[in-house]
This record gives sequence, structure tokens and C-alpha cells, in this order.
Amino acid sequence: MSVGSRDATAARSSFGSTVETRLALACGAVLGTAGLALVILPIAGLVGRVPWSRAGDVLSSDGALTALALSLRVSTSAALLALVLGFPLAWVLARPPFPGQSLVRAVVVLPLVLPPVVGGVALLAALGRRGVVGGVLADLGVGLPFTTAGAVVAATFVCFPLLVLAIEGGLSSLDRRLEQAAATLGASAWYTLRRVTLPLLRPQIVAGLVLAWARALGEFGATITFAGNLRGRTQTLPLAVYETLQSDPASAIALSLILVVLSLTVLVALRGRFLAAR
Amino acid sequence: MNRLVTVAIALTLMISGCARIGAGGENEELVVFAAASLTDSFQEIGSAFVEQYRDVTVTFNFGPSDGLATQIVSEGVADVFASASPRWMDAVANDGPGIIERRDFARNRLVVIVPAGNPVTVSDINDLGRPGVKLVLAAEDVPAGTYAREALAKAGIVAEAERNVVSNEQDVKGVVQKIVLGEADAGIVYVTDVTPAIRNRVETVAIPGTLNVIATYTIAVIRGTEHLALARAFVAFVLGRGQRVLERHGFATGP
Repeated sequence: MSVGSRDATAARSSFGSTVETRLALACGAVLGTAGLALVILPIAGLVGRVPWSRAGDVLSSDGALTALALSLRVSTSAALLALVLGFPLAWVLARPPFPGQSLVRAVVVLPLVLPPVVGGVALLAALGRRGVVGGVLADLGVGLPFTTAGAVVAATFVCFPLLVLAIEGGLSSLDRRLEQAAATLGASAWYTLRRVTLPLLRPQIVAGLVLAWARALGEFGATITFAGNLRGRTQTLPLAVYETLQSDPASAIALSLILVVLSLTVLVALRGRFLAAR
Repeated sequence: MNRLVTVAIALTLMISGCARIGAGGENEELVVFAAASLTDSFQEIGSAFVEQYRDVTVTFNFGPSDGLATQIVSEGVADVFASASPRWMDAVANDGPGIIERRDFARNRLVVIVPAGNPVTVSDINDLGRPGVKLVLAAEDVPAGTYAREALAKAGIVAEAERNVVSNEQDVKGVVQKIVLGEADAGIVYVTDVTPAIRNRVETVAIPGTLNVIATYTIAVIRGTEHLALARAFVAFVLGRGQRVLERHGFATGP
């Protein structure tokens, strides 16, 4: 008996008959292709409908450039704010279990599954002019709704679970003995964090930041609900796409292309990061 | 794994089967695209229509007239279109599938609304140009936004007011929502948008007739509809029994 046929016997015994295995593979291939088509077809359709002759004018128009610049500012600020707020939270969640830890984790992840428009209404209830905290802020002369800062808050709300989860994953798989070793060698907690923990976590921090940034870039529902829609102040690219779509779909499709290209570039770059980290 | 695949395929077939049965029933479905400002009145008209004709379903898609017209032009999915402005009916007639039996069926006027308590004391349309007033309008291409800017222009304060705009909403109901929530100081909407549901949460400031703008609502059957008879019946219904419903909701009717 040759080596090859012994392998085939082993495969048969673990997967059942070869016919069934082939059938399963064929089904898998068909469904997998359908799944890929589900994502690729709409994007291809979008690209196919880009009015290339006008695309240059649309993309270099004041409105598009203003929205793009605002989008980049808002999503970058949101990702950084999410890092500042999310890192300590990830730290706590990666600690040994404490009572209520799973509840805290569920609450942190909530914005990820909540409809963004609900997030916007919730933000208004809390930070709006008549909101619990927003009322106090308004008395101090700080108003978030209808401001760029409000758009940043809305984007941070939806993107920060991604950052917390990425960093928490990194912290959980971290070899804690390295930190302990640093401590035995006399390093202060701050020095250990800066020179040991953070460098070890860099891949997860970068991945979390990029994912959060991409999510913030695409944010729509919470932004339009909480921050409104005003060119140059709160009208990010997705809002500009939506407004343009109402009366000029061709231009809206050209604008959408910026978002597709930006998001794709970032995800491809991120994939490179992941591979490099391993 | 094999069993899993079988179960998944069986489930998929079941679900798609259900969908087909649901769509292929006896019920004839009429799809009506209507301006957001018609939400309450058309829902009432729709119920009355279904009561009279039976075995029909009327499905409404309410939204900004410009957005609805664009959807009809590109996808042509509606049987009937009711626009808050002749401009967007023209778009469907000229750039889209075309229309039959176009009729004007109602008129509306604008009003300034402020949150209950009127936080910044708006007492006149001219106050909307005062620095510091947080004003919310419908976006410029949305009929309510176009009309609002016309009224502000007649008052001679369009530039000042435009500087006060904190948000351009996607339809007139978005303006109502921002005022009801108290987030903005003032907005311009149709008189019919001040419905009983929100009457105690907003205050209104009338716009004098000389500065006001009359919005003319127009309805038509979309050319190529598969439900021509039913679509015609619906338009006739809006122009008949529907008129009283519209009047009750604050619209002006008749010549």
C-alpha cells in the first residue's frame, strides 16, 4: 500500500465517504463564491456607475474637498480620543476577573451592535442642550450638538469598542512575567508601561487605531442625529454622499468612491501590519 | 459538516420559499412615494382607501421630495408620486419614466417653530437673522428648504439667516425633530407639521402672508406602473374623499 492511499483512507475515516467530502467541498466553494460576490458585486456596481467624465470635477469641488478634510479631521480625532479613553478600560477588562466584569465588557461593546441612530439619540439625551450632562455643559457655554466636536464625540462613541477589544486581546495574551521581571529589576510602574508593555502591545494598538479610524470615517447615523448636517462643520463625507444622493446620484457615487478607496487602502495596509507582526 | 451544509441549504430554500408565497398572494400592492410632510394625512387616506377597495395594500415611502424623485428616476419603483413641489414632479416627468394624470391636490404654508418656552425669544421671522439664533432648515433642494429660503429672501434676511443655520436636515420632519428635542432655537416648517402630537412641545411664530410662500402639492401616476387602474383610483381618491382628510390636517384645498 502506498503512502498516498493510506492518507486517503485516513481522510475517509475522518470525513466519511469521499463522495460526501467532495460534495461538501463543492457546496463550500459555491457558498464561498456567493459570499464573496455579495461584497464584490455592489462595489463593482458602484465603480461601474462612476461618471468618470465628471468625476474629476466632482472630487475637486469645494464641497467634496471640505467634506473630505472634515472627515479626516473628525475620524483621526475620534480614533485618538478612543485610544485615550479606551486604553485604561481595556486594561481593566484584561485584569483577572472581578464581579461585574462581563457586564462592563457588554456595555463597552454595545455601540458596536447598537443602530448608530439610536446612539445619536442617546448622545442627545446625555449631552444635548436638554440632556443630563449637556444641560450643565450648556450653562458653562459648551455646546456639543451641531459642532465639529459633537461629530467627533459621535464618531468616538461608535468606534471605541473596536479599540478596546483590540487592546484587550493584546493584553490578555501578553506574557505578564515580562512586566513582573521589569518590576523585580526595580523599574517603576510608569517605566514598565512605557518601555515594556506598550512596545509589546504596539501591533494591537496600531490595528485597533486603524480599525477605529476606518469605522469613524464611515460613521453616519449617530453623526447626523447628534451633530446635524452643516457643510464644513459637521457634514462629513458619508453625510455629503447622502445629501448629494437626494438630488444628484451620479455625483454621490463619485464621492462614495473616495470612501471606498480610503477604507480599502487602510484595510490592505492593516493586513500588511498583521502579517509583519507575526 | 455535511449535515450543517444540508441544514443551511434547506433553511435558505425555506426562507426564499416563504418570501415568494408572501409576495404572490391575492393582495394587490400599490407603492406610493409621498413628501414627508404628507406622512400623517396620507396614512389616514391610505387606511380609508384600503377600507373601500379591500384586498389591496398601500405601501408608503415618505421622504424628501427631491430624494423620492431621484429614486423614481433611477429605479422607477413607485406607482404613485406625491411631491411637495412641482419642480420634483417635473424631474420625474422629464428625466424619469414619465407621468400620467398629473394633478395639484393641496396647498401648504410655512411657519416658524421654536421649542416650548421659546428660549431665545423669536417673535418675528426677522429674528431669525439675529446673530446667535441656532436655526435649522431643510436642505436647500428639499422643497421645505427651498420655500424657507424664499420666505427669508422676501424678508430680506437670507444671508444673515443662512449664517445662523446649524444644520440642513434631509427632510422637513428632521427640522421638526430638532426643535421638538430643543436642540435648536428655531426652524421653518409647514403649518401642517405642527401636529397634535407635538403641539405642546413647540410654539409657532406666524409668517405674514406677504412674506409667506405657498407650497403646491402635486400627484401623478408613474408611467409604466403594473397597477394602473389601482394607481388611478388612488389619485382620484386623494382628489375626492382625501380632500377632507387633508383639510383636517391643515392643508388648503380647492381652486
